[in-house]
Amino acid sequence: MKFSEVDVAVIGSGPAGMAAAIKAREEGAEHVLILERQEQLGGLLHQCVHSGFGLLYFGQDLTGPEYAHRFIEKVRDLGIEILLETMVTQLSGDRKLTAINRYEGMIHLHPKSVVLAMGCRERSRGQLSIPGTRPAGIFTAGTAQRLVNVEGFIPGKKVVILGSGDIGMIMARRLTLEGVEVKAVIEILPYVGGLIRNEVQCLHDFDIPLLLEHTVTQIHGEQRVEAVTIAKVDKHKRPIDGTEQVVECDTLLLSVGLIPENELSRMAGITLDPLIGGPLVDERRETSVPGVFAGGNVVHVHDIVDDVSWEAEIAGSWAAKFSQKGDLERKEKITLKPGRNIRSIVPQTISGQSDVTFYIRVKEMEEKVQLKVGDLYQRSFRVAKPSEMIKVDLPVKELKKLDGRESELNVECEKGE
Amino acid sequence: MVEEKIVCIGCPLGCETTLKMDDQGEVVKITGTKCKEGRKYVLEEHRSPVRVFTATVLTQNSVRPLLPVRTNRPLLKTQLKEAAKVLSKVKVQPPLRMGQIILPNLMNIGVDVVATDDLVL
Repeated sequence: MKFSEVDVAVIGSGPAGMAAAIKAREEGAEHVLILERQEQLGGLLHQCVHSGFGLLYFGQDLTGPEYAHRFIEKVRDLGIEILLETMVTQLSGDRKLTAINRYEGMIHLHPKSVVLAMGCRERSRGQLSIPGTRPAGIFTAGTAQRLVNVEGFIPGKKVVILGSGDIGMIMARRLTLEGVEVKAVIEILPYVGGLIRNEVQCLHDFDIPLLLEHTVTQIHGEQRVEAVTIAKVDKHKRPIDGTEQVVECDTLLLSVGLIPENELSRMAGITLDPLIGGPLVDERRETSVPGVFAGGNVVHVHDIVDDVSWEAEIAGSWAAKFSQKGDLERKEKITLKPGRNIRSIVPQTISGQSDVTFYIRVKEMEEKVQLKVGDLYQRSFRVAKPSEMIKVDLPVKELKKLDGRESELNVECEKGE
Repeated sequence: MVEEKIVCIGCPLGCETTLKMDDQGEVVKITGTKCKEGRKYVLEEHRSPVRVFTATVLTQNSVRPLLPVRTNRPLLKTQLKEAAKVLSKVKVQPPLRMGQIILPNLMNIGVDVVATDDLVL
């Protein structure tokens, strides 16, 4: 393939990138190209050796590599072009891409449309401002996961995990099974950050202490972590005097949240959602730059991989249409307004002219609530939790109830019976 | 009467449930569940709590240090640590295909350990 002929370029080949590329190809885009910075397709799935992937998408409980495998085979069957070990270094507002690898050197592309599928990054110590020394032995949970599951290193012998995100809890189990002593999982909030099944199967199953409303207030050690001080926090998340205790450990893992990776998006002048960190998108997952689409964790961090792939398929499908038509039909957009107890909504705008898949996150845990999207949709929930995203599918025929004059649509969680 | 506490994972609610057993070990009372599926789950979890078991094994003569693996059937919760110990002593060599058995009849319980990725080189 000549690089000048690319219809759809997909940046990243994790569960989002591969799903987007496959969809774009299936919807008729001829030259679909995946650009991947690692030496193989699949992104982070390779280090997620645990199961729980694909329960919804495939109706089967797969491990990360198995989930990746299914997409990789399809990518190859469909003749999608792949550039591995290739780093995209620039993206412009008129969809010009610069990438670099050691085989071709600099690569200049001008694809007809682009799908952003760069995923997300972990928050690190620098973003937490934990006081103390700067010894070796502090890792993000995902780095530890790579070390243990791919490279074959155990990061330490006595571990404290700060944050109860899913990767942190999964690493608590994994390290325990590898013979490491996991002293505690420390969570500043009054509830677990990750999924309930991970709390039960990773922590309870192995009697790993979970300390809610606690945080790490100090890291000790010169060359290597020797201990951390933990303390209980008040309802403003401030450490309470007199509750400090020192926990001896040689390793501290951080599982304190993920941030969409959007350096390239910023470079292209794409407008980002200041709260979520990903591009503002409409229901086609088109960003503020025409012809640039985005799906998966680059837009907003999902709880489960199945949703990442599904969302990226929306982006891939519309990227294919854009590449064929040169543009998409454009209408005045309706903005979604987060109302009572709503933290975030993706997409942030809709046209009212095509099917919408919403992903909604609430601010606070609440029992017995009614989720409402304007007058178009409502659903009762026994419980709504920030750690479990709500997915709402609204077919276009439902949207016909809009009279075309609305510029805003309110989304809220009402207290129900 | 014996009691067991089980957290239901059927939905985000995470109900904390309590099962009460009579002297024969029969469940006579379940409290704390809020739905039918929840009762079903906690009964199953009480009778035989099983888990999908995944791990990695060391490789020889390969560019990759590790190969991810899983058991082809779930294990009892109580068998997980022993399974991990057994697999820590296993070494595999390429070529291997995803789904291929790398250790038959793990711990003599009739469960096979299979590769969850290809090991080409």
